[in-house]
Amino acid sequence: MNRPLIQIFFLFLSWFNLIYGQTCNLSIDGKISDLHDGSPIIGALIKIEGTNFFSQTFFDGTYQIEGLCPGKYQLIIQHPECTPVKKKINLQASHVNNFYLEHHINELEEIILSDKRISKLRKSVQEVSLNISEINKYGSNTLVEALTYISGASVLKTGNGIAKPAIHGMYGSRVGIVTDDFRQHDQEWGPDHAPNIDFNSFETIQLIKGAAALKYGGDIPGGLIILSSSRKELKDSLFGNSNLILESNGKGGKITSMLERTYSNGFFFSGQFTAKQFGDFHAPNYLLSNTGLKEADFSIKFGKDKIVNGWKFNYSSYNIETAILTGAHIGNVEDLYYSLNSNKPRVIEDFTYNVNAPKQVGRHQKISFNYFNLFESQTKFEWGYNFQVNDRKEFDVRRGGRTEIPAIDLQLKTHNLIGSFSGINFKNWNFELGINGLIQDNFSDPSTGIKRLIPDYLKYEAGLYVLGNFQMSNSFLWEWGLRVDKIIIDAKKYYDLSVWKERNYHELFSAFEMQKIGNQILTNPKLNYLNFSAQTGVSLKIRDRFKLNASYILSQRAPNASELFSDGLHHSIAAIEYGSLSLKKEISNKLLFSFSKEEGSLIWSFEPFISKTFDYIYIEPTKLKQTIRGAFPVWEYNSTDVFLTGVDLNSSFYINSQLKFDLGISYIYAQDLLNKKPLILMPPLKTFQRFRFTPKKGRWDFEIVNHLNARQNRFPNSNFQFNIIEDSQLISKTVDISTPPPGFQRLDVYFSINLKNRNKLKSQIRIIAQNLTNSEYRDYLNRMRFYSADLARNLQVQLNFKY
Amino acid sequence: MKNIQNLFKMKVMVLAILLIYSCNKDDPDAVNQQEFISNVVLVIDSSDGSKQTIDWDISEQNNQTINLKAIRDYNVEISFLNTSDPSDVDNITLEVIQEADEHQVFYDFAEVSVNVNSATNDTKDTGRGVLIKSVWNASSSGTGIVRVYLIHQPTDFSATTREGMGGFNDVAIDIPITITD
Repeated sequence: MNRPLIQIFFLFLSWFNLIYGQTCNLSIDGKISDLHDGSPIIGALIKIEGTNFFSQTFFDGTYQIEGLCPGKYQLIIQHPECTPVKKKINLQASHVNNFYLEHHINELEEIILSDKRISKLRKSVQEVSLNISEINKYGSNTLVEALTYISGASVLKTGNGIAKPAIHGMYGSRVGIVTDDFRQHDQEWGPDHAPNIDFNSFETIQLIKGAAALKYGGDIPGGLIILSSSRKELKDSLFGNSNLILESNGKGGKITSMLERTYSNGFFFSGQFTAKQFGDFHAPNYLLSNTGLKEADFSIKFGKDKIVNGWKFNYSSYNIETAILTGAHIGNVEDLYYSLNSNKPRVIEDFTYNVNAPKQVGRHQKISFNYFNLFESQTKFEWGYNFQVNDRKEFDVRRGGRTEIPAIDLQLKTHNLIGSFSGINFKNWNFELGINGLIQDNFSDPSTGIKRLIPDYLKYEAGLYVLGNFQMSNSFLWEWGLRVDKIIIDAKKYYDLSVWKERNYHELFSAFEMQKIGNQILTNPKLNYLNFSAQTGVSLKIRDRFKLNASYILSQRAPNASELFSDGLHHSIAAIEYGSLSLKKEISNKLLFSFSKEEGSLIWSFEPFISKTFDYIYIEPTKLKQTIRGAFPVWEYNSTDVFLTGVDLNSSFYINSQLKFDLGISYIYAQDLLNKKPLILMPPLKTFQRFRFTPKKGRWDFEIVNHLNARQNRFPNSNFQFNIIEDSQLISKTVDISTPPPGFQRLDVYFSINLKNRNKLKSQIRIIAQNLTNSEYRDYLNRMRFYSADLARNLQVQLNFKY
Repeated sequence: MKNIQNLFKMKVMVLAILLIYSCNKDDPDAVNQQEFISNVVLVIDSSDGSKQTIDWDISEQNNQTINLKAIRDYNVEISFLNTSDPSDVDNITLEVIQEADEHQVFYDFAEVSVNVNSATNDTKDTGRGVLIKSVWNASSSGTGIVRVYLIHQPTDFSATTREGMGGFNDVAIDIPITITD
């Protein structure tokens, strides 16, 4: 910014020194190393600003500048691949100055590529990284849309506004999300609960298949999604970006804006907000009444990052209100039967922006503090504290003016403390050691006037992990990790006496009984789990371009609150859900391979996996229960052994310098071994094909993407029989909630224009059409498929400014 | 040294957090289920003065049978109760009457034919009878069931089938019925 001024100042300074000539025989020397792995940086330039003194580092990273006079200097260390570093020194005697440089952050040009920007968490497991600004390209429902471009990842939806990630066919508690070094803690167990995160407040997303990242937990056999902010550059700068998205379907849009100030002394602060509003969305042939949403989020971050040590503070607030399709609110099985047999929702009203019951209101607040210190030995010490409050309210259509009172009202408070030593090096060995402590408090407000679906509980977790790797050469790496977690759940729950006895709990768990109140019994289930998880793998590079990763992962997961305690009616599928106190921890063994090769214009990767899980917890319908509202199927949590295998394939081919073709394919086979039937809700065979045209001259590019989803032919039969009255006859009907819908095809088109840049301002316009052919389809992984088709054609205009 | 200080800081924080939570949480209050319906009561008055009361209770799910004679008018009054706290019985029927504009009682018969009309003293909403009080008349003898519905927010109040009516079920129970000549 005011570089000339500084230069003049130092010029003046050196001149001043010359006039008052002193003994000019001092020297500065030292070593320049890579911040991440401590390797020497060769060919870095060390200049003394405003003078002709400079030096370049040798093969061992050392440098020396001689013949300096005493005085104040500003050192500048530069390297083509690194962020420049400046340091002021007051030279009175010869001095040793060691520096750590961070390799420069390259702009990610493609949405899927092996990681260059952030240090890989585990080297023997394939990782996928996405850049947030690229993700924005795929629309306002960012993460969801972006995930459809990663083979092996899929999205589980409840209508349009609620979407959660699935990896290798697993979701909910089996997939972890990490934001700024801490696991996200919300009511993640519900298939209709979306993660309460605004993805716009982060810069990168990493996706790791399998529980390889033991640092963040060993209880996530599906995988991990890591959202992080980029390292701050040590320079005076002020920059920001803004995104405006307008969409035709839902007649709404999103605005998000970020501003960041960094200083050369390492201090930084940034602020960001997102606001979103949509009205009712529409399917090709009808309006999806009551599917609008409103969202408002903001976050602030500040801290000091001085490369060898630093701290940061984050606060974020996420607020969302999502309407649930009116036609999906059903009273009982009979309503469900009629919905399934109608080719459109049972209620269709005029377009509105109102968000009415049934709806979900979510609020998530996070506050965190992190500190790190990098020692001379390259050992990094980090600790952090994080506090999260998640408020979740679900509103139903209720009688007696109670629609305004939530039917579910949960507050989850989580304290999380982490600490670690990493980069402990002995020759070719590298170790990391860390601890994790967590206290969680769930409160279920009784003023709802409806029986609690999830009880009050306290949960304590303590974890310890050790990671290590052995790097023999650049072409061979062996790594391993061990983790142990102790989990204690201390719940207070009312059971109906009849249920307590019916499930034989009065004999199995009599120790939990506290007192009988009317026809209910207050109990205090105290559950303990000790989980061991482990990972080991190798990474091999064969003849430069061919890379092989192989990894074995053991993960153990304690049942979550929903699996243990669920007790009540789940409206959107007309099911009574019962948890089970008898569930044991789930033990999963997974083998993951990845073969990848870069050869000329062809890049491909092939990633098969195979896993066997013992005591896999799942929910299945067991019987029909008569209630005053009619018959309901009872779904009970149970456990079985399952076998899962699958394969993901990604490839890119440059047809010529302007045209690129991408192909992604994924397939999963999932079988319940004890009951000899397929697992429910597994993604079908999926593929996408993408052509991207980037002309050599011109400021635009064009992309066309075809998504093909086959029909899922492997599904368990959860259908049940039910009597309905038709023409004064009692007729037995099958309520078919199992049969997946037919496969579908969807075509998306993206057109971007880079506008002329003025000064630092870069802007871009994008025009997008999703579901271009307006095809009517239903997605097996969308729970709303029982009631309505998926979204119709959507036109988008995006404006993107960077400054 | 700094390291040890940091570790110490961390320990202090862990202890502080543990202290906050060291005491148990209060016992949760039992939920007072306000909208819950535990009983559906049908009071059937014959024009000859005989009276029958059918009390369908959620916990017992008793199969009492309605006995009618063909070609005879019966005055039927339905009520919805919450008796989960026997000392404080809630009459949910009052809520239904209050929100007459979004409720409809509906009787669907299987294997028997019974004509149902709104009684003169029935709860009305813009001319439409909610069928809280209704008049039943069976056309011929037989045995079957009556499915008793309380429908919330029907989309078509005048439909003649449950499917056509839309909305969702607050109550849907089956009661056996016998009609003699």
